[in-house]
Amino acid sequence: MTTSYEYDVLVMGAGLAGMRAALAAHEAGARVAIMTKVHPVRSHSNAAQGGINAAMMDRGDDWEEHAFETVKGSDYLADQDAVEILAQEAGREILTLEHMGVIFNRNEEGRLGTRRFGGQKRARTFFVSDFTGQAMLHVLFEQLMKARVPVFEEWFVTSLVKDTDGRCAGLIGFEIRTGQFALVKAKAVIIASGGLGRVFEPSTNALICTGDGMAIAYRAGAPLMDMEMVQYHPTTLKEKGLLITEAARGESAYLLNCDGERFMKRYAPNMMELASRDVVSRAEQTEINEGRGVDGCVLLDCRHLGRRLIHERLRQISEEVHSFAGIDLTKEPIPIQPGMHYQMGGIKTDVDGRCWDVHGAWAGVPGLFAAGETACLSLHGGNRLGANSLLDTVVFGRRAGRCAADYAREVPTPHVPDSTVGMEQQAISALLSRHANRDSIAAIRQEMGVAMHSHLGVFRDQEGMMTAKGTLEALRDRYSRVSVQDKGRVFNTSLIRALELGFMLDCAETIVYSALLRRESRGAHFRTDYLHRDDVEWLKHILLYRQPDGSSRVEYFPVRLTRWEPKVRIY
Amino acid sequence: MPYFQEYQLNMDRADTVLDALMHIRDTLDESLTLRCSCRGAICGSCGMRINGHAALACKTKVQAMVSERGVVQVEPMNNMPVIKDLVTDMAGFWDKVRQVQPWLQPAGPEPEGEYLASSESMNHLTGVMGCIMCGACVSDCAALEVDERFVGPAALAKAYRFVADPRDGAGRSRLLALNEPGGMWDCTRCMECIEVCPKGVGPMDRIMLLRSRGIQANVPSTCGSRHAEVFADLIYQKGRLDEPMLAARTFGLRNLSRLLSLLPMIFRAFVRGKVPKSGPLHRAIPGMEKIRRLFQRMEERL
Amino acid sequence: MKFAFFPGCVSKGGCPELYQSVMEVYPRLGLELEEMTTASCTGAGVLQEKDLKLGDVLNARTFALAEQSGLPIMTICSTCQGVMSQANHRLTTDPPYLAAVNEILGEEGLTYRGTTQIRHFVWILLEELGEQGIRQQVRRPLKNLRAAPFYGCYLQRPSEALGFQDQPERARSLELIMSWLGLEVVDFPGKTRCCGFPLLTINEKNSLRMVASHTLDAKRHGADILVTPCPLCHLNLDGMQSRAASQQQADIDLPIWHLPQLLGLAMGMEAKRLGLTRHLVSTQGVLDKLGSAVAKIEA
Repeated sequence: MTTSYEYDVLVMGAGLAGMRAALAAHEAGARVAIMTKVHPVRSHSNAAQGGINAAMMDRGDDWEEHAFETVKGSDYLADQDAVEILAQEAGREILTLEHMGVIFNRNEEGRLGTRRFGGQKRARTFFVSDFTGQAMLHVLFEQLMKARVPVFEEWFVTSLVKDTDGRCAGLIGFEIRTGQFALVKAKAVIIASGGLGRVFEPSTNALICTGDGMAIAYRAGAPLMDMEMVQYHPTTLKEKGLLITEAARGESAYLLNCDGERFMKRYAPNMMELASRDVVSRAEQTEINEGRGVDGCVLLDCRHLGRRLIHERLRQISEEVHSFAGIDLTKEPIPIQPGMHYQMGGIKTDVDGRCWDVHGAWAGVPGLFAAGETACLSLHGGNRLGANSLLDTVVFGRRAGRCAADYAREVPTPHVPDSTVGMEQQAISALLSRHANRDSIAAIRQEMGVAMHSHLGVFRDQEGMMTAKGTLEALRDRYSRVSVQDKGRVFNTSLIRALELGFMLDCAETIVYSALLRRESRGAHFRTDYLHRDDVEWLKHILLYRQPDGSSRVEYFPVRLTRWEPKVRIY
Repeated sequence: MPYFQEYQLNMDRADTVLDALMHIRDTLDESLTLRCSCRGAICGSCGMRINGHAALACKTKVQAMVSERGVVQVEPMNNMPVIKDLVTDMAGFWDKVRQVQPWLQPAGPEPEGEYLASSESMNHLTGVMGCIMCGACVSDCAALEVDERFVGPAALAKAYRFVADPRDGAGRSRLLALNEPGGMWDCTRCMECIEVCPKGVGPMDRIMLLRSRGIQANVPSTCGSRHAEVFADLIYQKGRLDEPMLAARTFGLRNLSRLLSLLPMIFRAFVRGKVPKSGPLHRAIPGMEKIRRLFQRMEERL
Repeated sequence: MKFAFFPGCVSKGGCPELYQSVMEVYPRLGLELEEMTTASCTGAGVLQEKDLKLGDVLNARTFALAEQSGLPIMTICSTCQGVMSQANHRLTTDPPYLAAVNEILGEEGLTYRGTTQIRHFVWILLEELGEQGIRQQVRRPLKNLRAAPFYGCYLQRPSEALGFQDQPERARSLELIMSWLGLEVVDFPGKTRCCGFPLLTINEKNSLRMVASHTLDAKRHGADILVTPCPLCHLNLDGMQSRAASQQQADIDLPIWHLPQLLGLAMGMEAKRLGLTRHLVSTQGVLDKLGSAVAKIEA
């Protein structure tokens, strides 16, 4: 037995982008609901630690400077019109958040305080100690409770549905608690389901970051863009893969090799530890590969910062390293290594979150929107600056929400055949009824993660990536036959992990495919066989469209330049 | 019917209980069901009882929990219905959080820029804002165990977050609501919530601060507020507690029937010499003027 | 060993049998006690609800007085211990706070330097006498007595303020001592839970539910008696037991003993001198069970 629901705007994902979009759509008068596979405050946005960027004009800051630093940080792959909007609207979003109740840090005058962050000369990162993401996420959830926006909490989305004209018509999913399927119809769907970190092993990402939304959109015919641009964060805790915020470096922590040398002076003499993340990660990996590491890591030294500062501004990581590695960071340096952290690529959208071009320059799925890490405008191009992701989620979450509400007002209710849900249920039942073999979901997941980390990590080359491609093909085959041991309806996490693995394999394939295509090094995509950036041939985005046979069709889309011509990137 | 299932594992010295549970799930029993996500004590998903006390599985080391017999006992959180294995239904938890109207209610017109707020006030709030809503405090709350109407430590800590926010204009009405039965006076001060909170929020400390603020804001008196005020007054008078007087004045004349119903017990205590001298017969400690001076000095600063 | 003895308000008020039994046992333990007659009540956590800093100032004064006499403080009440430990923790980990408090104390000519040790009688038994010291004191092994421990919240939490990191055995202090006295220690989940006393005048129903829950649980696990180091717990568990029983419509009838009474009995002292006749829930049945070794008590 299935049930069906109907809304104007439906949001998939309840992180910062999802909730911001839902609130904006709600304020614009739309009937909006959120579907999320975990309770909103469990979303991975809460792991963002360091802060949120904004150039506030009344403090003598300059949005153009912030925009330029973002473009430079992206290694010139970012679309500059989108970046301009990000920088221009940032100040206003910070104030909106503060008015909602976020407990941003203050200076002596009682005004909002700032700290420095990577890739930026000026201190324009607003923050809440070192748990800014959590602080923002909980406040947005408070606002959601206040506005009484309906939330399908712990509902797992399995696919996007389209009407007979190919327009987005809603989502199908099941209530995790009961296994009950439903079709949730909507005139507009905003996918804000976050990143795909678990495709890599290890990763800073939570276990829920499995690229669900990207895969669902991709399967429905939406293009995924710049999938090869995967960010490795410079400071993740040795072996555990847990994030140590860039804010530590923002507060002047040092990076040291086994000789106690601040090695960044050889790679980025001006910005040192606060160069862009891809530069720092590569520097660290080089030090490690060339034998100047300590046990496969380098050291993050916070000792000179003093107890008081650490207690006020870095309390969370102080607790974290003590709890998870037994280290007192006022007394010892922390062993860290680069770890997979963020996906710059994602579902292609315009500056209003639309996954189709109203002018027809590229094709997508009308009625489908995306925001946050799931989307790719592109804001972050080949490398994202720290504290820009939190900003991305709220600026473009709001824009997508508002645009979706406006769009929903103009279109009629979509028609979806009743049989859709039944077919979906049957597919799931078929998966559940497979007989056990010696294989397991967990094993396939692990092997995929290790292969991606080994060959699509900080340094890439043709041979490695072809190996990864082969591994994925074999894993795909095994996936088609692997069984789910838990056959029950109630809270079947076994089934969820199986479905998530399917999404991750789809995403992994697009990452490898794009990485093989891009024959240059740009931002986070660094090929030892194509060392240089090639603006003549490659100042463009790679869009992938899924074919019925599972392969990808490629389209290219030129980067949109407004003010800044690509230059050599030196930090 | 709930039952325990035993799994034998070899784990590494540095492994957490979550590592162990995921290991079971990945290699021994795929049907083991639990909530987990960030592995880094920030999402609040993996709250459960480990060796009888609520904790985050991702933050608890196996080595610290292993008993002499080599066993670690893991159960779902208490004070919540169980859905399956280690997964509890947190709908009731969230209902109580919603009860305290957990969103900023600023007074007056919205400023152009940010609300001005002192650095101290915002830094102070980082303690209680650190709450990740994991449910550990609610699981082990002794008051909730005997009375599910109690709003609970998580909701109260959240309420404090707003009462202490200088930008919130609804402080008084919040305190009035918390002054009701099931609110801030129903905490039994057992400190379980302080002990089990993985983020150092100290819910009970916040509840005590709410009580202070309630008294300062002159909320309608209840046995709870009278108890605290009378206690302080008795120490001011005599330096040490006059228990019968404390009971009598806490109940007040309105609750005379309560006091009278206790007479049989009081009589039995009396014949055993367990009813101390009260009122004028209760002796003050020597040097009371020193104690009173301290009270006066503290009163001045308020 | 000499201590500044802080008996607290209840052992001199509603639970005089506690004070009485401590006075009986301490001389034989090699302890010297100098009672702090000018120290105020700790506030019991209740005064702190009205004004936390006032509580800290009052307790800082008590610590300073002990410091002046060069003596560590001994408490006999879990609540006194816990409240003092928490206050001391705040004062000794926040120098500006201590300085501000000292400014106020200074007007009386007192300063607290932060060196005062405050320990519950149970911890002193554990740490100063230890297993050997305790076993040596036993003249009358309490065989056939099955006793369950009930610590009282303030002696278990927060563990940081109570020094459990440096002295982890404190978490089991009561059980260790009880086992050294030769009796059978009954373990049950409620041993570290709340007796409900703080709620007694505020929400009696809930308070008595807790009394019933933990006493019945201890009984179900086979306990003949419950032993507690906190007179406030005693007031609720013993004093209000019959009321709790009728509220929950159950038979409880579980005698509640103070730890010094148990110690005294094991040391060969008379039940009456230890105040064992003063309880509201009669201890006669248990004393009978212990047999001819225990002197009969006149009713």
